[in-house]
Amino acid sequence: MTAMVIDNLHKRYVDRYTGEEIVAIGDVSFSVHEGEFVSILGPSGCGKTTVLNIVAGFIEKTRGTVTVGGTEVTAPGPDRGVVFQSHALFPWKTVLGNVTFGLRMKGMDKARREQAGRDVLELVGLSGFERKYPHELSGGMQQRLGVARVLVNEPAVMLMDEPFASIDAQTRRKLQQDLTALFELRRPTVFFVTHDIEEAVFLSDRVVVLSGRPSTVRDIVEVPLPRPRNWHAAVESTDFRTTVTRIESLLSGEEAHVGDGS
Amino acid sequence: MTATAPTTTPRIGRTRRRARPSRLAAAFWFVVPFVLLLAIWAVTIAVTDTPLRTFPQVNDVVGAIGDMIASGDLARHLGASLARIGIGAAIALVTAIPFGVALGASPMLSAFFSPLLRFSVALAGIAWIPIATLWLGYGNGAVIFIVWNAMFFALTYNALLGVQQIPEQLLRAARSMGTGRIRIFWEVLLPGALPSIVTGLRIGLGYGWRGLVAAEIIATNAGLGYALFLAQSQFDTDVIVASMVIIGILWLLMDRLLLAPLERRTVERWGMKAVS
Ligand SMILES: Nc1ncnc2c1ncn2[C@@H]1O[C@H](COP(=O)(O)OP(=O)(O)O)[C@@H](O)[C@H]1O
Ligand SMILES: [Mg+2]
Repeated sequence: MTAMVIDNLHKRYVDRYTGEEIVAIGDVSFSVHEGEFVSILGPSGCGKTTVLNIVAGFIEKTRGTVTVGGTEVTAPGPDRGVVFQSHALFPWKTVLGNVTFGLRMKGMDKARREQAGRDVLELVGLSGFERKYPHELSGGMQQRLGVARVLVNEPAVMLMDEPFASIDAQTRRKLQQDLTALFELRRPTVFFVTHDIEEAVFLSDRVVVLSGRPSTVRDIVEVPLPRPRNWHAAVESTDFRTTVTRIESLLSGEEAHVGDGS
Repeated sequence: MTATAPTTTPRIGRTRRRARPSRLAAAFWFVVPFVLLLAIWAVTIAVTDTPLRTFPQVNDVVGAIGDMIASGDLARHLGASLARIGIGAAIALVTAIPFGVALGASPMLSAFFSPLLRFSVALAGIAWIPIATLWLGYGNGAVIFIVWNAMFFALTYNALLGVQQIPEQLLRAARSMGTGRIRIFWEVLLPGALPSIVTGLRIGLGYGWRGLVAAEIIATNAGLGYALFLAQSQFDTDVIVASMVIIGILWLLMDRLLLAPLERRTVERWGMKAVS
């Protein structure tokens, strides 16, 4: 089953101050199946966040269609859960308050949502921190909470915008490993934005490689790594290396192209 | 997935052992400037041999306060003043905060109202006393109006600023978890604006307190401001200064017992630095 379809997406921004028009997304189409992990990868400024924000319903597109679970996206909704790079946790709510927020909005009663919240906190390794406030957690733990807060709502698709970009390299590896384990256990549908090739390959079933602005889909690369995955095995496997190299050449082909044009 | 259990991590704000000496030290350094002021005051009056009708000596003021307590005047004036500021502040809170938050939620409205609000903050309170007495006569109504008016604009403006300072991503996070337009007020806008609202409350209460005293001097026959006025007409400098001291102490108590704990339990506990 297809969870999400993006068809001929186009986005033009008008700069608020200069009035200048920027075509961020030229023409982007791809789809994500249910239970699939798809990353979108491309050079900085190519419009990855723009795609995610349109899917989330935060901003409007200028052309094309986005459907999630068969219905066209027009506004933010609980069928699409977002994990932000900045975590975007509510500072005035405890860890448990944050993780049960979505269930409370749905009207689930207190006992059931707190049970569900505790279960998912256990899953992301935050048991015992229920009564803490977000500022009392480390960056890595904050993002675990960011993931848990979305996962608990069981959205049709989880949208993640460079969730580990602001976290130190060592912790990032661990978080990627844990996210993979979580994905393999729960099989949510994930749409993941990153500019880190290794991260994209390690986590994803497929990687959508974008060209520079105005972006188009350069290629969609299947990742042949078996699951369950772990970093030790991945870095030693030739499949991992060839996939990374292939994406690198796709992206550097882009650089050569830009060089030709200027 | 592993993360160390928090058994050894002390809960912030609950560490009794460390809090006690620092609190004692804080109290000490809070009192020192006042003791110094009293000393300078006592010495100056004694050395210059200033007569009571010009300025009272420390012990005159202490005596006046004692008399005010014994006669029941203090309780009467204090009760009247506190009731007025309480009512005025309560009305200001329930009117200004929703108004300011609503304005802040709309970029167009806040751009439109911001200059007006800043203009009104400068005029709030005391400058309205003539109008207040014209409209409401001499009495509680006019005084409560002045307290409300003194607080309203500062509170509204700071609530508006507070909403504008909420990170866009928090609003997006809430909306993507199914928070509707009305609920977003309680769930995000109000708590998110709270650091700034607390600042507004502190500024507003300061304005309100001064407005209260000024309005009581003019518009009533009870309250600390009225006590000042009465003492002045009878040349009782000791009662004048006693009333001033009581007004100052009350403000300090209000700040320490009301605003500081509010800040500690919310903004500080949540790790949201107060905006100043
Ligand atoms: N609100 C906006 N107004 C104008 N231009 C924007 C806006 N948001 C993004 N852009 C531009 O669109 C392009 C794509 O941005 P973005 O989607 O954030 O890229 P990425 O996430 O791939 O780094 C960038 O050149 C950026 O400057
Ligand atoms: Mg981005």
